[in-house]
Amino acid sequence: MAAAGLAGCSRDRRPRLNVFNWSAYIAPDTVPKFEAEFGIHVRYGIYESNEEMLARVMGGNSGWDIVFPTDYLVKPMLANGLLAPIQRERLPNVAELEAGFQQPEWDPELNWSVPYMVTAAGIAYNRKLNPPPRAWADMWDERLRSRMTMLDDPFDTIGACLKKLGLSVNSSDAAELERASVEAIRQKPLLRAYLNAEVRDQLVSGDVMAAHMWNTTAQQAMDSSNDVGFVYPKEGYAVYPDCSVILRESKRQELAHQFINFLLRPDIAAANALAARTTTTNAGARKMLPPAFRDNPTLYPNADVVARGEWARTVDPGAQRLRDRLWTEIKSA
Amino acid sequence: MNRLRAWFLAPSWAVMLALFLAPLAIILAYSFLTRGTYGGISLPWTTESYQRLADPIYLTILWRSFWIAGVSTVFCLMLGFPLALFISRSGKRKDLYLSLVMLPFWTSFLVRTYAWMFLLRDTGLINTLLEKLGLIHGPMPLLYNDGAVILGLVYGYLPFMVLPLYATLERLDRNLLEASADLGARPWATLMHVMVPLCASGIRAGAILVFIPCLGAYLTPDLLGGGKSVMIGNLIQNQFTTARDWPFGSAVSLALMAVVMLLLAALVRRNDEGLL
Amino acid sequence: MKRGGVGLSVYALAAFLFLHLPLLILAAFSFNASRFTVWQGFSLRWYAAALQDSQLIDASWNSLIIAAVATVVSTIIGTLCAYGLWKRGAPVLTGSLYLSLVTPEIVTGISLLAFYQWIFRFLRVQLGMHTVILAHISFSIAYVVIVVMARLRTVDAQLEEAALDLGANEWQAFRYVTLPVILPGVIAAALLAFTVSFDDYVITSLVAGVDSETLPMVIYAIARRGVNPVVNAISALIVVGFGGLILISERLRTR
Repeated sequence: MAAAGLAGCSRDRRPRLNVFNWSAYIAPDTVPKFEAEFGIHVRYGIYESNEEMLARVMGGNSGWDIVFPTDYLVKPMLANGLLAPIQRERLPNVAELEAGFQQPEWDPELNWSVPYMVTAAGIAYNRKLNPPPRAWADMWDERLRSRMTMLDDPFDTIGACLKKLGLSVNSSDAAELERASVEAIRQKPLLRAYLNAEVRDQLVSGDVMAAHMWNTTAQQAMDSSNDVGFVYPKEGYAVYPDCSVILRESKRQELAHQFINFLLRPDIAAANALAARTTTTNAGARKMLPPAFRDNPTLYPNADVVARGEWARTVDPGAQRLRDRLWTEIKSA
Repeated sequence: MNRLRAWFLAPSWAVMLALFLAPLAIILAYSFLTRGTYGGISLPWTTESYQRLADPIYLTILWRSFWIAGVSTVFCLMLGFPLALFISRSGKRKDLYLSLVMLPFWTSFLVRTYAWMFLLRDTGLINTLLEKLGLIHGPMPLLYNDGAVILGLVYGYLPFMVLPLYATLERLDRNLLEASADLGARPWATLMHVMVPLCASGIRAGAILVFIPCLGAYLTPDLLGGGKSVMIGNLIQNQFTTARDWPFGSAVSLALMAVVMLLLAALVRRNDEGLL
Repeated sequence: MKRGGVGLSVYALAAFLFLHLPLLILAAFSFNASRFTVWQGFSLRWYAAALQDSQLIDASWNSLIIAAVATVVSTIIGTLCAYGLWKRGAPVLTGSLYLSLVTPEIVTGISLLAFYQWIFRFLRVQLGMHTVILAHISFSIAYVVIVVMARLRTVDAQLEEAALDLGANEWQAFRYVTLPVILPGVIAAALLAFTVSFDDYVITSLVAGVDSETLPMVIYAIARRGVNPVVNAISALIVVGFGGLILISERLRTR
């Protein structure tokens, strides 16, 4: 251990790049491959939520070069002067993106962000639960008392409440948001905890019977156990494209572009999607996925499930303040 | 002599000013600003954050923090007093026992909190043992509630109660206790009417050393409370990270400090041995 | 007075068990071959995993370096401060030291973060090892002052007076008369500062930068995801490591 430590202490002369990404969201060999091919040393950090990432980078001097916000955060981060412009000419592989993601609604010219992977939120459950949950309303069921969790994410949990009430996850209406908040507070005594990806192990072991979960985490849980299932609730659900952005504080924007371009390579994107168990935004990668994965109902659901999904959008600042305040009240209740 | 003394005190002054008082001053300033559109701070100056504190929901959090910290302190006192008494009477082995009490403190607080996560979860040791012994039929939800938080806090801060209690008990004049017994007082009466008053300064010191950190606890309710048991420490952290409402977070922080200082003013007496 | 002698001893035994059993159980299960709470044989695999995890090793080194630097600096500053206060009180300084002790960690942490963010508008610096070390020095000084002050109170002030009468100047009186006497207290203070610094999570997590992840931060990240025997293994190593340090220091102190 001492030798390894000393080796770490010796000066590493390669150029550096600091990448901050969601946990379990990349293939294990992607970063080593990049380091080998480009001779760059990558420091790869992970986070569990958008808020955790934002808290670190908001000051403008966190030290990270690339982060992966969800689409609805791109405009606010831009407004706060946190983003560096993306130079399309440095990203030849951007042509590999699927048509639907070449001009996304949140950044039509891809000036500030590059789509990475898509996740959605639904309900993961342990198959011993009979009958299994099928709708958001099932997460208010008394029989699940202290055996279920919701995501520790304001957009997700308030969004689930909005969907339960038949409203849009992107609602900016104060009355609708207040109603959603009331639902969340009603549900809180039944919950075991607010947890993100951390609940995966508890779902597998049976400590938790139903969890509000992103489909990628659910797929990872299903890979390790046959006892876990996943459902897209029938009232509808939120869909989140995550994208890579370069922080304005970064002094290594050239290298950052190289990394993002590397991620857009079909073979790399396919490996990432396969390892992280996600839906890729890369058309070339999708063709390279094994058929069993490409037709996986959790990650690539069929058309009528897709129709129920609703894209997450940036909320206007006034509504955002209200949402943040309501979340504080829900957590404090 | 003053010159040397000034040089000796200068580095501490510098550190305290730059790294403690200045940051607090900044927080004070932030508490009067407004939250930026997407977070952080911006003008105008306002007292809105302090006005928000009067909202019943935050008073509930304050009350709950007091409750949890208070119960933890009482448990520490009840568990710690007999232990301190035992050590003060153990003659030659005093140092050994004191070391044994302090040993868990020297290990990481995070590790000690994690130990309880390990023991209390549904598939943890306690539930597994109880199930194997046939005493329960399904796992009991021992984790992610206020009880688990209190247990974690008591476990973490018990040594802080035992040490001051031991310090005062050790200096107790045994003759007084014997005199009380000779005068016909039963053991319980001697305890309550003679021993406890004589140890008052130790009890006060122990209560301060336990109650105040428990009041501002963050890690324990976070890990053992499951994100549901919100204490003031969690609220502050939440405002500075998830909610990105720095002014309000600053206001809550200063309110907490005001409460702490009021408590100290009430509990610390001039003739108590000062820590410094 | 033998009142309740046996009862008290039994209670004390139970109390000591309560204090130590959780850690012992934690350590015991670090040798469990299975990752669940069912004993499935003795194994060192979790130790192997811990010692091969580069993130853990980096974090441990960071923790050690930060603790070492912070300890040395805060012990020196704190000892000098305690000596200065012993000679004559300084109410404002004493008050702020006291305040830094009772300020909740979360408040210290966020105030330092706000301070650093504000300063970084003028200096082109980022969060990193230096910000963590400065933060640790800041909260360790009060601990050092307390311990050294307690030791100073047992020193006879006349010793220094005698030295001065014999022609020594103040610095020499301190360096050659008082300092050797309080040295065990200084060492104890250094040990306390090291422990507090190595163990800190709340403040460090708020002011750490990209390169300065510490061991408690890594443990917290793993522990949040649920029970993981690797944490058991690390915990056991930490307990043994610090237990050993304490034993050594106790030997030195009672020499």
